[in-house]
Amino acid sequence: MSLAAQNLSLSLSGVPLLDGINLEVKPGQITTVLGPNGAGKTSLLRVLVGELAPQAGSVTLSGRDLKSWSPVQRARMLAVLPQHSLLNFPFSAAEVVMLGRTPHDTGAVYDRDIVHQTLKAVDGDYLAQRFYTQLSGGEKQRVQLARVLAQIWEPSSEGDRYLVLDEPTSSLDLAHQQMTLDVVRNLAQKGVGIMIVIHDLNLAARCADQMLLLQCGRIVISGTPQDVLKPENIHSVFQVDAHIGRHPVSGTPLVIT
Amino acid sequence: MRLLPPTRLIFILGLSLLPLLVIALMMGPVVISPGDLFRAAGAALGFSGSGMNAQEGLILSAIRVPRVILAGMVGVCLAVCGTAMQGLFRNPLADPSLIGVSSGASAGASLMIVLGGGALLQSGQFAGLSMVALGAFSGGFLAVILVYRLATSTTGTSVVTMLLAGIAISALAGALNSLFSYIADDEMLRRISLWQMGSLDAANWPRVWIATGVVTVLMILLPRDSAALNAFLLGESEARHLGIAVELVKRRLILLTALAVGTSVAVAGTISFIGLIVPHIIRMLIGPDHRYLIPGSALAGAILLIVADAIARVVVAPAELPVGILTALLGTPFFFSLLVQKRKFEEH
Repeated sequence: MSLAAQNLSLSLSGVPLLDGINLEVKPGQITTVLGPNGAGKTSLLRVLVGELAPQAGSVTLSGRDLKSWSPVQRARMLAVLPQHSLLNFPFSAAEVVMLGRTPHDTGAVYDRDIVHQTLKAVDGDYLAQRFYTQLSGGEKQRVQLARVLAQIWEPSSEGDRYLVLDEPTSSLDLAHQQMTLDVVRNLAQKGVGIMIVIHDLNLAARCADQMLLLQCGRIVISGTPQDVLKPENIHSVFQVDAHIGRHPVSGTPLVIT
Repeated sequence: MRLLPPTRLIFILGLSLLPLLVIALMMGPVVISPGDLFRAAGAALGFSGSGMNAQEGLILSAIRVPRVILAGMVGVCLAVCGTAMQGLFRNPLADPSLIGVSSGASAGASLMIVLGGGALLQSGQFAGLSMVALGAFSGGFLAVILVYRLATSTTGTSVVTMLLAGIAISALAGALNSLFSYIADDEMLRRISLWQMGSLDAANWPRVWIATGVVTVLMILLPRDSAALNAFLLGESEARHLGIAVELVKRRLILLTALAVGTSVAVAGTISFIGLIVPHIIRMLIGPDHRYLIPGSALAGAILLIVADAIARVVVAPAELPVGILTALLGTPFFFSLLVQKRKFEEH
């Protein structure tokens, strides 16, 4: 069982955005999607979570067509963190995280406890009573992360859980980037399948079980970070000369440009 | 900023509703004393009706009571639909007129006034509603359906397109309205412009029953979408990922708004301002959670319109002011004071 895409193709207004993509996000594994601007990373994400309908191919969640699940069933298995947030109403941070419990009917007391735990997990317990509209960009991003965590914090009777993140670290400082990776890795250890669209190759290398390198809507190469992060691959996709070192502690590839 | 815990605000509003009702029943060109009011209430409940002036009793039962109830119902419709539209459009400046219901209703009413001239207006009645009211309801409902259809494609309903379609339909309805005004004679013209200011002077029991029925439907169905409206504030696709059947919710909100605002415009003309400002004020006081915002706005809308209408009856007695003028006159200073307080709060 997995969150999987078979032979996806997508074009909008005649412009091809995705072409023949196959992808499987497995429970307990972290899949990172990399590529230059306009490579189709966000399009792939949006097709995978059902926001865009592909012209060809299909998306399955736990073995069933994504669309065949009811909205609530799907929300109990699949949480999505978008890149930008539109929220401009003065909810408190805790209330925003509480919205993540919308698909569940576990009761307010129980949900408040989960809100507390998830805010703590993103180093945001001190934000709980602050107004979302008055937070900094990085704080907002962490509160939104806590919201999607709250949505899939506990195993679902429907099936395996998946978390899809679109550049979750884009406005975070160094410490909170690391924290986000830790949170995501912990979730994966609990059996959640994770897909992250990310720009930072080294952050991706630190957490990925599987890496996809996207260019012009096609997967150029996929595999472990060691397989994917090679100078020739990076040159052909990003047109950048890079050296590959090794992280002194974790042993993962380190891209030096 | 939040000035009050939500349940306390709802409690305070609920508590103040009853005394305000009593005061509103007393006020008018003929002032009815509290004693007479209680005697009338006793008579209505089957106790002895002695000592009650027959004329005052008639004023109460045939004019004052239906009027005050109708004011409350219309206030609920406008404020609650304003709340729903601000949530749906994720914009605190939205109000029901945004989807064309008010301008459509104006055009429908003007058409009926111009067409009707004399005879039809007097004789044409349907379930207590004049032809003008029916024209208003049909015009408002038609405008909303048009806006909704224009904004809906196979991929769903676009809120942005709906906004643009609403502006376009409002412009079209406005043009029709001007056309009808242009061909109207002086008497019709006065009726049209009075109608557009909104008034509750045509209140009668059939109208009360219709409005009460609509408010019942509205207040049973709309609060069920509180969680959906909260999720909507995050964004449409976020709401979808939280398990909300977004398209269904949108359709339900639009239809309910068309029904409720269409009805209130039909029974009381266009009363602006309540749909925009009441939800805004309540949100400033208790925050944006729709589970409290909807009942809070309902109570506040009812109170504002009941009070405004009571003042409208006495301020230039024996004539009366169109209530639409007073809602804005009363609400705006309060809104300003909140804005000032909010700014002070944010500076600290």
